[in-house]
Amino acid sequence: MKNSSRTSSLIQHFKREWQIYLLLAPLVIWFLLFLYKPMYGLQIAFKDFSLFKGVDASPWVGLEHFRTLFDSDMFIRAIKNTFIISFLNLLIGFPTPIILALMFNEIAQGKFRKSLQTIVYLPHFISLVIIAGIVINIFSPSTGVVNLLLQKLGFEPIYFLTQPEWFRPIFIGSGIWQEAGFQSIVYLAAIAGVSPSLYESAVVDGASRWQMMWKITLPCILPTIIIMLIIRIGNLLEVGFELIILLYQPSTFQTADVINTFIYRQGLVGNQYDVAAAAGLFNAVVAFVLVMAANTISRRLTRTSLW
Amino acid sequence: MRAMKLPLALAIASTMGLSAPLLAADEDYRIVDKPLTLTIHFHSGDKIVYDNEWPVEKRAAELTGIQLDGVASMATQKSADAFNLMIASGDLADIVGGNRLKDGFNQYGQEGAFLPLNDLIDEHAPNIKAFFESRPDIKSAISAADGNIYYIPYLPEGDFGRMYFIRQDWLDILELETPTTVDELYEVLTAFRNDDPNGNGKKDEVPFLSRDWEEIVRLVILWDARTTGSDTFHDYYVKDGKVVHGYTEEEYKTGMKNLAKWYQEGLIDPEFFTRGKRSREVLFGDNLGGMTHDWYPSTTSFNVSLADKVPGFNLKAMPPPASPSGRQLEEHRVIPVKPDGWAISYSNEHPVETIKYFDFWFTELGRRLSNFGVEGEHYDLVDGKAIYKPEILNASDPVNAQMWNIGAQIPRGFPQDFEYQAQWTNEMGLESIALYEAGDYLTEQFLGVSMNPEEQNVYDKYQGNLLTYMLEMQQIWILGTEDVEAGWDKYQEQLDKLGYNKIIEVMQAAYDRQYGS
Repeated sequence: MKNSSRTSSLIQHFKREWQIYLLLAPLVIWFLLFLYKPMYGLQIAFKDFSLFKGVDASPWVGLEHFRTLFDSDMFIRAIKNTFIISFLNLLIGFPTPIILALMFNEIAQGKFRKSLQTIVYLPHFISLVIIAGIVINIFSPSTGVVNLLLQKLGFEPIYFLTQPEWFRPIFIGSGIWQEAGFQSIVYLAAIAGVSPSLYESAVVDGASRWQMMWKITLPCILPTIIIMLIIRIGNLLEVGFELIILLYQPSTFQTADVINTFIYRQGLVGNQYDVAAAAGLFNAVVAFVLVMAANTISRRLTRTSLW
Repeated sequence: MRAMKLPLALAIASTMGLSAPLLAADEDYRIVDKPLTLTIHFHSGDKIVYDNEWPVEKRAAELTGIQLDGVASMATQKSADAFNLMIASGDLADIVGGNRLKDGFNQYGQEGAFLPLNDLIDEHAPNIKAFFESRPDIKSAISAADGNIYYIPYLPEGDFGRMYFIRQDWLDILELETPTTVDELYEVLTAFRNDDPNGNGKKDEVPFLSRDWEEIVRLVILWDARTTGSDTFHDYYVKDGKVVHGYTEEEYKTGMKNLAKWYQEGLIDPEFFTRGKRSREVLFGDNLGGMTHDWYPSTTSFNVSLADKVPGFNLKAMPPPASPSGRQLEEHRVIPVKPDGWAISYSNEHPVETIKYFDFWFTELGRRLSNFGVEGEHYDLVDGKAIYKPEILNASDPVNAQMWNIGAQIPRGFPQDFEYQAQWTNEMGLESIALYEAGDYLTEQFLGVSMNPEEQNVYDKYQGNLLTYMLEMQQIWILGTEDVEAGWDKYQEQLDKLGYNKIIEVMQAAYDRQYGS
């Protein structure tokens, strides 16, 4: 009796809200088709996969591929590099757009601010291949701007892109140069949402601009910052490996090779789809743990969380 | 008009009663009475997709009665992706072809995707059979681990590829002789570096350059090392019946030490890892480059294309400089069999007709068609020899590109005719060939092994990381980040840890099975 009433109320509910569910449908279908259905293929991480035999007919091999991976110094090194590059990226790359947004906020509206914003947004729209080309040219030992400058100052030119210790600064720096401007849009929008009355009363109380930034702007956009941080942590291991592939050399592998580039070499270049799937699965599990942890910590500390 | 020409000629000839031999000759190539259409998935070199409108395809269809219908899509740009997608879909065209497919053909062939061709060749393909009988080494090289042949390969002809080229005009300016040993080469390159052969007063010369950084590494052969056994970089090679990798040997260590020294002293392009494929155009074009090791046709062509820009520019082939032990080796040569070609898929309902069709390309006429195009249209037969029409030789596009556009010289299974290339090689190219032919600098090639699934698993498991490590250390040593002597023992240890000996073990087993007598 109770059951049927619940069913009928559910039907009632759908009848009333069907438009909303209709709006939701495309996204749900997209998720099912492109994110859940491919998970079926994850099983090749535990199989001796042959393209021709297909996912179902390939024989099971258990944890063989994971054993191969963790036996390999290259994979361990790739994990280490992934974490180092990711954390450096987070440490330097995450605050930069916030600072940029705060600085923009302090510039009066007008032509100067508009053109400045356009300049920092622009690199976001340039293809990665071109970004890599620009980076290679800027750091070229014979014709690059950086080395010409060094030589003028009396230093020896440095072949930056073959030096392992230079790879991470160059990679992280070019990533920030490309994306910081565009990422600052979110924070600018959040700042625009801060009620002007807060600033007005602060001015009446005699607060300096510096104090207003620390005491009003930053606390008001903190929820946005936290949400962005959690999302960012979820993507922590998704290092922008396309740019790495375009920039790295065998001689910089020791600092540049990350899990995704390792997967790329094994899976796509070496045609070992099963081992690559195992590495990818490992990557996903670690990312899942990280985002869960970040969300929990954030909920405990700031009461802001994704879910 | 073109389409009418042949039938018309035949009709006229037959009414005159003279046609019998010609007609019979053409009829000989007919495979089926009723026209038959087979589908073909042919995606090659990331740029060529089988085109039903190619004049060569149309002529072949006329002669054999079998017409091929290309199903590969240009929407997929990568040939390897196109092949893998088709395999994964399980929906195979009657014929599958393209480049770099040997491993795919042999692996999926053994899993049942492609038909074993041995019996079909024996019974229905006399020309292919005769070829394999004359070249048992090639037959071994393309056979899968189970002993079967799964594809008919593309067989390039002509031995010479890369050669050493030096700026004769710079040698003349500095009054130097062509170096004959590695020590003399060192002197010459040092002079190029220090004595300002381009005369602009700046020390900006790049004595040795290459558009492939692997060619810089290949310089270690000047100290008796080896870098590869085939036309693929970093391949294994066979030394006295044993499979080894050149990058593990003592001679390689000596070579690396010297190479690091040369790099340090500026004898090698300082930016060779990132300079890219146009380094020859850039460095020769700016009159900065002194020497390279590259393909003779394209390298000799700089003498023509740069004649105005760099007055006196003269790149000349020189024999390989002798190593300390006196060895003069040109490691690179055109491989006699490519991992390219075509195969018959399991779903093909006409395997006998298909193998006969494959055989057609090994007949004299089929071979000419695939090398030179259509008679009367692209070439004329003069004393039984195919000679390109002047409009082909004098066109602005290179002849090979023109051939690809009509469906000739694509990597279907066919024996190439070197005559095709000789006819459009310039005089300097021919001189270079003569020089290298006289010196006999080439060596036997390693045509690869076919491993069984267990062996292949071992190989796949270790090879990727092993090679990555080898190349990593190679760069580190050349760039001088680490000292070769100091790192060598650790390098050897690490190679062993990364499975070098395990790979050698399985490759040796496969090699003995395949080539052992």
